[in-house]
Amino acid sequence: MSEGGGSDFQEELVKDFLLESAEGLESFERDMLAVENGENSPDLLNQVFRVVHTIKGTAGCLGFNRIESIAHSGESVLSLVRDGELPASKEVADAMLRLSDALKAMLDLIESCGSDAEAGDFAELRELLEAVRDPDFAATPVEPDSVSAAEPEPRSEAEPAAEADGRWGLFGDEEPAAESKEETDTQAPADERWGLFDSEPEPEKPVPPSATESSAANDAPEPAGRSGPVAANSTIRVDIDLLDRLMNMVGELVLSRNQLLQVSQKRDISQSEVSLVSQRLNQVTSELQQNVMKTRMQPIGTVWGKYPRIVRDLAGELGKKVSLQTFGADTELDRTIIEAIKDPLTHIIRNAVDHGIETPDTRLAVGKSEEAQLFMRAFHEGGQVNIEIIDDGAGIDGDRIRRKAIEKGLISEKDSELLSEREMVSLIFLPGFSTAEKLSSISGRGVGMDVVKTNIEKIGGSVSIDSVRGEGTTLRIKIPLTLAIVPVLVAKSAGQRFAIPQVNLVELVRLEGEQMESLLEKVYDSPVFRLRGNLLPLVFLSKALKLSAPVAKQASSISIVVLRAERQLFGLVVEEVCDTEEIVVKPLGHLLKGLPTYAGATIMGDGSVAIILDSLGIAQLAGVLNASKPESFATEEESEEAGNYGMRNSLILFSLPGWGRLAVSLDDAERLEEFEADKIIRSGRQESVLYRGGIMKLVRLADHLRVASEESSQEQVIVYKIGERFVGLVVGEIHDIIEESVSLEPAGEQDGILGSAVIQGEVTDLVDVPRILKAARIDIPQNVA
Amino acid sequence: MKTILTVDDASTMRKMVSFTLKSAGHQVLEAADGAEAFATAQTRPIDLVIADINMPRMNGIELTRNLRGLPAYRSVPIVLLTTESDPAKKNEGRAAGATGWITKPFSQDQLLAVVAKVL
Repeated sequence: MSEGGGSDFQEELVKDFLLESAEGLESFERDMLAVENGENSPDLLNQVFRVVHTIKGTAGCLGFNRIESIAHSGESVLSLVRDGELPASKEVADAMLRLSDALKAMLDLIESCGSDAEAGDFAELRELLEAVRDPDFAATPVEPDSVSAAEPEPRSEAEPAAEADGRWGLFGDEEPAAESKEETDTQAPADERWGLFDSEPEPEKPVPPSATESSAANDAPEPAGRSGPVAANSTIRVDIDLLDRLMNMVGELVLSRNQLLQVSQKRDISQSEVSLVSQRLNQVTSELQQNVMKTRMQPIGTVWGKYPRIVRDLAGELGKKVSLQTFGADTELDRTIIEAIKDPLTHIIRNAVDHGIETPDTRLAVGKSEEAQLFMRAFHEGGQVNIEIIDDGAGIDGDRIRRKAIEKGLISEKDSELLSEREMVSLIFLPGFSTAEKLSSISGRGVGMDVVKTNIEKIGGSVSIDSVRGEGTTLRIKIPLTLAIVPVLVAKSAGQRFAIPQVNLVELVRLEGEQMESLLEKVYDSPVFRLRGNLLPLVFLSKALKLSAPVAKQASSISIVVLRAERQLFGLVVEEVCDTEEIVVKPLGHLLKGLPTYAGATIMGDGSVAIILDSLGIAQLAGVLNASKPESFATEEESEEAGNYGMRNSLILFSLPGWGRLAVSLDDAERLEEFEADKIIRSGRQESVLYRGGIMKLVRLADHLRVASEESSQEQVIVYKIGERFVGLVVGEIHDIIEESVSLEPAGEQDGILGSAVIQGEVTDLVDVPRILKAARIDIPQNVA
Repeated sequence: MKTILTVDDASTMRKMVSFTLKSAGHQVLEAADGAEAFATAQTRPIDLVIADINMPRMNGIELTRNLRGLPAYRSVPIVLLTTESDPAKKNEGRAAGATGWITKPFSQDQLLAVVAKVL
């Protein structure tokens, strides 16, 4: 099929073929592992068969004879499995996975040089594929056998398609008779590869395969040489509905532009006309933005697809038994981020199997099941994606880690004595730490967890580890959904506006009047702030960046933006906190690019430029980080414990008139807001407010707890993000945010209350937010619940 | 110009067939499996069906059988794409009422020759 047709088309077909085959092989591996694990529905077996079958057929037509030939060998094995003549043993699965590797290698070769002619002949694999067709293969030594049955031997290039007896035909004529004379005369050569059922063709001439073959050798390299690698991952599949929607919105955008042009040409423009057009424009662009982002979103399962294979092979190599289960594979992430976490995740998985999980004997000896469980879980939470890798292995021996760290001079013996078990475990994130007691080729050499951590932090994510000796290890990764558009806090210093990415933001503190003096302290000349008992080093932004001092030096209040850098907290003092906004990140020009204090720039609504601050860079510049001192783990550990283990919780304390003290978990909340009563729109019984360019429904907690709802001029609202929408829970008065271990007493029959606990010496009821929202008929995805 | 329906779950294959037929001046419709093809065939007249055998949902042989069940498709030529590894399928195809077969891989010329023959 490769002759003629134009090389552009040929090129396109090759691209298609590479993409189609790569996708096919991905599902092939996954399905093959399922088959090996005993799933053998006819559908699944047929699916596995079809992938190889399709690759074979298409490769043949494109002239990739080596692929065709090896795929043929594999197909023969798979057809036996499909027909139930051969059990799907481990040996068969092994051979199939090796086949998949070989096919991938050949596809890569085609991608890079346009032809598979350079591929080796995979003689060993070929032998293996022959051998596994013998059901007794596992028991017998490897030797090529002749089970081939009705099937022809794979065609090799030396003897192209010599077996083809009647490669086409017409039904109606029983025996494969020679093709009629006029047919051979009138038709193109090589008719023997096709036919009609009423006239069987004559035996095949060797012409056509060599024609295809030579054309593969001659044609194929040409397009690839011109266009460079076809790179399957330089293309992306977009749902046609989504594309239609985009087109539709672009149409809307054009209409809005026309409207705007029209309005702008009028002599006297009324305010209402302008605002109408701009509202429309606003709506269209934000919708367009959302949908364009969607085209870049891919389910995380596209990366996970390869892990079952890695785990299987690794476990096999190490003589361990591991079952990998994944949850939330459809969690979507920007593809650049998916690319960026691929390697760190692989490393973590390998580490877990290599170091975390014990051998079956050891497991049995300590009373665990022989097969270890490895879980991967992904879910959205608070505008971020959480990924957890959980194993039920031996856990990390904190003491060993500590000794190792001392040995490597990463920590002093004296310091190390102060560490808790968890802090010891976290030492593995220190640069230069490699836990492998004996260097294993498996978890990589020299590349330790510090690289994993650095790579994840590079994309604005964070990693934490939690390990219980003897019970297993949990690794948690938090990463942003996308890198192109980030939510920031806009703050002013020395009259200039700065954008601070919210990933680094922990909380905001505003000090007024006397507080400024009583709570600000100096330790060795460095300003610090006592935040709930912990000393927080302060950085004055205007000083750190040497900005010209603002007019009024003695401000009546200061704002402290509490930021996280590395694993420590520090306070950034700014003059004014303006607003939160979603901004588009623009790279800095090359003169400014090298400065670690800036992460980029953005253009604000009024057209002016704001610099995006890099919290780590600022902290380093101001020297508030104590370089990898173990004490630094303390703050981080606390905050992590708070969110994740339920022992300690971050709680928002508030009260409702007529109820007393209430609390909700801070973790699920997106933000705390205050709305003036006259901003609240009422339609029927539903109240809502304009929020971040959309409408946010409000739910009054008082209504659901059936206490009298008192309206005040300022409503305090806890904002929850549900999918793409925001929902506001109107609470009475917010008092404080605390961290505390809570032991919950079950509540009575009161709907919407989880239970009560004693918090700060007072009985406090914990509100069941998902339930309240549900009662308000707002659908909640699982991650909020 | 004839209307030809090409049915294959492998999109590359489908494109190849479709391109060849289009360059020979035919109008080509595509379907990704038998079920889709069967649905398409009922919405408009088709002069020739070229179908792969191994497809999900409805395979080529089932498609042939189903099409032959429709009065409009009693005599419309149906050509199946077979492979060497499935010789038995050829006979199944014949029994289902297919007109002919082509063994993969095939060249453009071979494809056009068969098409010319059956149309």
